[in-house]
Amino acid sequence: MQNNLIKISFKLNGKQVESEVLAGMTVLELLRRNFRLTAAKEGCGKGECGACTIMLNDQPINSCLKLAATLKNDDEIISVEGFNEDKLMNNIQQAFVEEGAVQCGFCIPGMTITSYHLLQNNPNPDEHAIKQALSGNICRCTGYRKIEAAVKKAADRRHE
Amino acid sequence: MSNFEFIRATDIHSACSALKNPGYMAVAGGSDLIVKIRNGMYPDLKGLVDLSGLEQLNQIRTDENKVIIGSGCTMNQIVNDRLLQDYFPVLTKAAATVGALQIRNSATIGGNVANASPAGDTIPALYVLEARVVVTGVNGSRKIPIEEFFISPGKSKLEPGEIIEGFRLLLNKTRGEFLKLGERRAHAISKINLAVSTWNDGRDHYRIAMGSVAPTVLRCKEAEEYLENCEKISPEAIARAAEIASNTARPISDLRSTKAYRKQMAGVLLSRALNKLIQSA
Ligand SMILES: Cc1cc2nc3c(=O)[nH]c(=O)nc-3n(C[C@H](O)[C@H](O)[C@H](O)COP(=O)(O)OP(=O)(O)OC[C@H]3O[C@@H](n4cnc5c(N)ncnc54)[C@H](O)[C@@H]3O)c2cc1C
Ligand code: FES
Ligand code: FES
Repeated sequence: MQNNLIKISFKLNGKQVESEVLAGMTVLELLRRNFRLTAAKEGCGKGECGACTIMLNDQPINSCLKLAATLKNDDEIISVEGFNEDKLMNNIQQAFVEEGAVQCGFCIPGMTITSYHLLQNNPNPDEHAIKQALSGNICRCTGYRKIEAAVKKAADRRHE
Repeated sequence: MSNFEFIRATDIHSACSALKNPGYMAVAGGSDLIVKIRNGMYPDLKGLVDLSGLEQLNQIRTDENKVIIGSGCTMNQIVNDRLLQDYFPVLTKAAATVGALQIRNSATIGGNVANASPAGDTIPALYVLEARVVVTGVNGSRKIPIEEFFISPGKSKLEPGEIIEGFRLLLNKTRGEFLKLGERRAHAISKINLAVSTWNDGRDHYRIAMGSVAPTVLRCKEAEEYLENCEKISPEAIARAAEIASNTARPISDLRSTKAYRKQMAGVLLSRALNKLIQSA
């Protein structure tokens, strides 16, 4: 058995970090096990639910579908934990709470990362744009209306 | 699922020689492969060769009268590329329908074609643009017209030790539409999809291809010729072309859909696509 560990180095939530991984390890497992960052969740493990969404080089991806060994020196990963001090993210999180858009919370780290990316690129999204942007994030609790309202609220509040 | 080797390719040649070893596979975005490995579909997997570090595969460039789309370009890279939007809207529209945003940031066009799924969404678009697949191995490259690239579902002409380097398209301004029917918008494996492109060089040309209606993607030459010989694309002409497309389709019934439904929908999609093209003319 070749349990070869592969050395990787990449930027994680603002810091250059190193780790050793097995060939089949996903970025989701890397974050949760090696770095104890547990905001990103495994919902389906096959790209369908978005609970594992993180930012890779400013783009949301499903971390369950990315092999950790493919990370490169200049790759930058940001998980929800890395947005703790971020004004836009705090605004989004606040709006989610106020609109009652959080029930069990499982989908929320992924939802808020995708919402963040949307509002960064489109400060005034209409309902269609919000639905489109969040189409890769499944919530089994809220029925989406409140989530959409929260994103809208976060967008409106930025302009105040 | 970790009992295999991982090789970061640093140049195409060494990637290809690693891929000559039995049990070695290429990985690009991983959006398809990782799930399959997890599901135990490759019990004999010995090694993965990661192509994502090969910069020349991640670019879209022009060369005289050709555009070369690197196999490692992601769907979102294609969707957002100005030249492709301008010259090959059928391809940017097809790429925009692949999965949700998160998938489109990982999924590559090379992986989509290498999969050789009859439902792969960029494939009909590449058919109607008459793309050539640039296949590279240790002994150099060969160019295969996309229509000759596929053998059966999941099987293409790629040999062990070969990768798709990219796709060559003639730099020719086209208009186009891509439509698909699927189960759920964001994650749809197409039940059926259809690409149309058209251009005018003194007279109108049409190219039509459909996916999921046969073991490999199907060009619909009879409908193309019919349209090219029409004086005007009238509602009657559209109805007739749709009927031809419907008869060309030779789908199967499977979990996702029945045969009769797919045949009928082939015609419906073509008439929708043609109407869109006329409206935007
Ligand atoms: C949730 C979800 C939704 C999806 N939705 C769609 C959809 O709507 N439409 C659609 O068409 N597909 C869809 N897919 C399938 C998949 O994302 C695409 O086929 C994608 O384009 C594959 O690209 P990749 O780079 O991720 O391939 P990988 O997973 O890296 O590789 C796929 C296969 O191609 C081979 N390969 C990759 N690159 C090369 C190369 N350059 N040369 C030779 N072989 C190569 C690999 O060895 C492997 O066998 C979906 C997948 C998921 C998980
Ligand atoms: S866990 Fe990654 S998409 Fe569901
Ligand atoms: S709040 Fe429970 S899954 Fe969304």
